[in-house]
Amino acid sequence: MMAGRQVAIAGAGFCEHASKRSDVNMAELVREAIDNCLKNANCELKDIDAFVTGNMPGFEGIGFPELWMTDWLGARNKPLMRVTTGGTTGGSIGIAGYYNVTAGLPGIDNVLVVGFEHQSCGDTSVGLASVAYAEVSLYTKFGLSMEKIQRLFGAGSAIGIASYQAINYMKRSGCTEEDLARVVVQNRHNAAKNWYTHLKMPKLTIEEVLDTPYVSYPLRYGMLTPATDGACAVLFTTEENSKKFTDIPVFVNGVASVSNENAILGYAGSGTGQIDPCEQVGAIESSKLAYSQAGISFPEKEIEYVEVYSPFPNQELQWLERLGLFKENTAHLRYRDGTTAPNGELPVNCSGGVNSTNAIGASGLERIAEAALQIMGKAGNQVPKTVHTALAHSWGGVINLVTLMVMSDKPKRIWKKGDA
Amino acid sequence: MGRLEYVKKEYARTRTVEGKWYLSSCKYKYNITPVKTCFEMLKRRKLVGLKCRGCNHVFFPPKLVCPRCMTMPDKWVGLRETGVVATFTATYDKDEKTGELVPVPIVAVRLDGADTIYTVELNPKIKFDDVYVGMPVKVKWRDGELQGNLSDIEYFDAIEDAGMLIKEPGDAVKK
Repeated sequence: MMAGRQVAIAGAGFCEHASKRSDVNMAELVREAIDNCLKNANCELKDIDAFVTGNMPGFEGIGFPELWMTDWLGARNKPLMRVTTGGTTGGSIGIAGYYNVTAGLPGIDNVLVVGFEHQSCGDTSVGLASVAYAEVSLYTKFGLSMEKIQRLFGAGSAIGIASYQAINYMKRSGCTEEDLARVVVQNRHNAAKNWYTHLKMPKLTIEEVLDTPYVSYPLRYGMLTPATDGACAVLFTTEENSKKFTDIPVFVNGVASVSNENAILGYAGSGTGQIDPCEQVGAIESSKLAYSQAGISFPEKEIEYVEVYSPFPNQELQWLERLGLFKENTAHLRYRDGTTAPNGELPVNCSGGVNSTNAIGASGLERIAEAALQIMGKAGNQVPKTVHTALAHSWGGVINLVTLMVMSDKPKRIWKKGDA
Repeated sequence: MGRLEYVKKEYARTRTVEGKWYLSSCKYKYNITPVKTCFEMLKRRKLVGLKCRGCNHVFFPPKLVCPRCMTMPDKWVGLRETGVVATFTATYDKDEKTGELVPVPIVAVRLDGADTIYTVELNPKIKFDDVYVGMPVKVKWRDGELQGNLSDIEYFDAIEDAGMLIKEPGDAVKK
């Protein structure tokens, strides 16, 4: 079998995240993250050979940013591609950057991956409607009134989907609302120690979270993910070049992107076979793929740091189980005993996670960037132990698409023809 | 209540241009061939699902293509009017008298005999706190002449049979 080139991450950069970055426009926001990334990697724009970019289409009210933002990206007369997969955009562009380098095209060694979202410019509900409107309009043909459709599927938008998952997860594992609040508190405390994050709440308590009203049972106002303006950039390069940019390069040893049947809304007005929304076959399948590429047989022992995509606290618990890091129905117990704290056995989301900062197109890429920075030892909220292997996860779609990236401080052994 | 403080930084407001955008109408295309047969049966107060011959999964509402086998299921099977709640969530209605937000359950039901779920409303008399995963429910047909579409199923009602009312194992024997 032909194997591709070993891929390394040489640096990552962020811009300042906030709910309204009214001082910059979208292009300037992106430029901030790129400059930060180039500074961290001791790199210049002329060293970059190709670009990958992506954001959630429709959320900002401006279409096709790659067509008018080329100069601000620094991508003039260079190969540029855009990938958008909704919530997973960040994870997908990370994988696209990996593919660009591993393919070994002549002259393409250093690839800059940029994910961004300037949500305060546009109308998020219009963006979401562009995703779901086709399905919903079909139901008017099936004899349901618009009022009834709004009741049925208004409850099934982004927060509704999470609350379906939360209800089934709580039924399965016996975790309580207090456990969900504990996850939120850990994330917000971690975010306070990181320079670029959005919701910094250093003094938040579980009682304060449980005191906020329900948005959709069992999720309360205090547990929700914010809408953030922000951007993130990551430099993917080859094993040889990575040593020019950094002392400790991070090697990408496994990637996977698996989509499963969507839940709650089946396609074309039909039912869906995903009866339990927190079952997540896509996550289980993608973890099998990524771990086998990286040569990981015991994920619960070998992975030392994990960044999961969890806009809502129940998802953080659910992903940790589905990715094989904790036993089924025990993730909430690990939060009680402090295993997932920054100084614990398996630190989770030390950046504060998507729960504290959610610039949609950048969120998935920030998971990759944070996991890589933890291995390099340069993260904003650095864990005390040395991290050798880390996992970055991202999720999107109608509960279906999952992307994973396994990173390590050592390159994987590739057996070439003629070796041994 | 409801306000959480966080470390906030204000940014200067510069160069803002207001704009409005009206979305145009879209024309979507769907193949609803399998749904037609199902709706004709609904008119006769019968529930039918479409069974895949490859994996024996039964789809209700019917699906054109089986996602596992990529074949077109073509075997119609009858379904019972009962089912279970697979998952649920809440939508919030405003009480006209008090102005309080009242949670109303929205459930995804798996009909007995089918392998898929779909979202429906429950009887408005059922309170949100009484709904649980695995709750047995049955179809409530609408009154009067049926139209032959999804509005024929008015809502799902909780099953109140003898088995449900037994609270202790000995109760049935005593009666």
